[in-house]
Amino acid sequence: MSGAFITSVLEATVRMAVPLLFISLAALYSERAGMVNIGLEGLAAVGALAGFMMTYITGSCWGGILFGALAGILVNMIYAFATVTLCANHTVYGMAVNLLAPALASFIYRVYFGEGSSLMQITLMPKIQVPVLQDIPFVGPLLFKQTPMVYLAFALVILTSVFFNRTKAGLTYKAVGEHPKAAATLGINVIGMKYLACAICGALSGIGGAYLTTCYSTTYTEGIVSGRGFIALAAVIFGRWTGGGVLIACLFFGLCDALQIRLQVSSMSIPYQFFQMIPYVATVVVLAIVGSKKAGPKANGIPYRKEER
Amino acid sequence: MGKLKKSLTVFLVPVLSILLAFGIGAIIMAALGANPAEAMKALFQGAFGSKGSIGTTLNKATPLIFTSLCACFAYKCGVLNLGGEGQFLIGATAAFCAVHCSGAMGLPGILLGLVVGTVAGGIWGLIPGILKITRGLNEMIISIMLNYVATLFMGVIYTSWLREKMPQTPPVDNSLKLARIIPGMRFTWALVIALAVGLLLYYFLYWTSSGFKLRAVGLNMTASRFNGFPVKRYILLSFVVSGAIGGLGGAADLLGTQFRLINGYGAGYGFDGVAMALIGQLHPIATMVVAIFFAALRTGATAMQVSTGVPTSVSDIIQALVIVFSVAGMALTALPEFEAFRLRLTSKKGGESA
Repeated sequence: MSGAFITSVLEATVRMAVPLLFISLAALYSERAGMVNIGLEGLAAVGALAGFMMTYITGSCWGGILFGALAGILVNMIYAFATVTLCANHTVYGMAVNLLAPALASFIYRVYFGEGSSLMQITLMPKIQVPVLQDIPFVGPLLFKQTPMVYLAFALVILTSVFFNRTKAGLTYKAVGEHPKAAATLGINVIGMKYLACAICGALSGIGGAYLTTCYSTTYTEGIVSGRGFIALAAVIFGRWTGGGVLIACLFFGLCDALQIRLQVSSMSIPYQFFQMIPYVATVVVLAIVGSKKAGPKANGIPYRKEER
Repeated sequence: MGKLKKSLTVFLVPVLSILLAFGIGAIIMAALGANPAEAMKALFQGAFGSKGSIGTTLNKATPLIFTSLCACFAYKCGVLNLGGEGQFLIGATAAFCAVHCSGAMGLPGILLGLVVGTVAGGIWGLIPGILKITRGLNEMIISIMLNYVATLFMGVIYTSWLREKMPQTPPVDNSLKLARIIPGMRFTWALVIALAVGLLLYYFLYWTSSGFKLRAVGLNMTASRFNGFPVKRYILLSFVVSGAIGGLGGAADLLGTQFRLINGYGAGYGFDGVAMALIGQLHPIATMVVAIFFAALRTGATAMQVSTGVPTSVSDIIQALVIVFSVAGMALTALPEFEAFRLRLTSKKGGESA
């Protein structure tokens, strides 16, 4: 175990954790308002495509990120309308989004770039290199040689923790997920809050998807999200519905991902798929250890009907 | 009378959703510069135009029937099994390995493959079931994670362990391939197995007392527990049977049409199955009809692309819109506001006729 090895694994951990972190925060904001959304996978796919296309057209990664967020919001409004206004089952509608969003993304890709086109490429977002500091061994490249998105993700975690634990607005927000009827009697606009939650969720998962194409992979391929939308749901459970917990969970899954890539390269005799299984198996094992569905917001996943007693 | 009205809305929602989805599909086709009427005609003819195309449609429907019944059965018991794809693939993989490694030929080989596939699928379904009833875990996340594991495990088989020159396995022996029933039509005995499973499920769910209890658990777990039904046992049972159906589907599809394991096999079957079960309102017979409809859409889409240049992905969008609209529609009809609106309409009609 050389120092360079550890540094590269840690760096990869951060890189792999960031998209998951965005999507997990999306799930966190959604579930704190009582909205279980298993359509994150689809939202991230749309975000990935929107981010890719915008960057391809304008050449600006930031435009791509922004457009990814917008696309995520737009698609999640379908989910919001069905679940909040029509009181559809959250899970079932999340499934519907999971079918619609990737179909839409691959259709747009094929129409725009042509059916049999070779893979289009974009240039990735440049890394910020802080002079001097990036040369510190171990932590240097880890902390001071990343894309701005990494810093944004970590800043969001802090912001989220402060918002939920230290502000009145955050408490109001959480009340909607814990007991919407009580919240409504206090004059909180529950329906509006839930729509807001869906908008935040759509934006964050869209950004998570756009990160994959603008900061990570240079191309858009079908299935680029590869289960991150579902792992994010597990990360929120693992992280006990708190910002800090989600961060730890995402770093753990990022580490699994970083290790599996390393192991793939280092041991050729074992089929590489066994290593690729690691993040998914880890999710199952972690959930089995952490267990319990009781820890989340009380009214999580329950449709809110205004007139019902 | 009220019941008749209710079943009318139950029937109307999917039909309207399909029409609406096709309407939007037509707009997309027009936007792409194709003549929607022509494209729709090509789609329909491609799916049902000749004996051969009907055969292809039914053949495409076979795996979808299995995965949709797999989703349907679990959801009847109130658990959402999103692992249909993994159970299907693990069934296909296990069946392939069993017949390949044992060297069994002919009918015994076929039976071996089907049984091993069913058992493997059942075990794959058992995992989220056990974790749900013992640890209270969310069965959806676990079953989705197992999808990825199953897909990767199939990858191990066709890229390393039983690989041909290309990254794929050799085909199964000719004596193991399920026979076609009608000459000139592509579907095989796998379709018969699928339909039989569907009818059996229908019988079990609606005509036996265990089936009734299982549905009761699905409708209200707390009430069932107070009635002394072994809720946990039913949940576990529904997962195992659901997984076994998926596994049987994988084995039957492998021996009927696929013959070898290859990259991309079975992708999306599981989620599609859930969608079909939901559009079919969790009724096994209706679910099978929906599966055939979706298969027709896919078969037709290929013909449509050849003759009018409209890409096949339009049919994916139509398919997704059907589920988007029908689930929203079902939720809409369940709203108290809608009920009030419907009552006002009917009472007005009653007033006029009086």
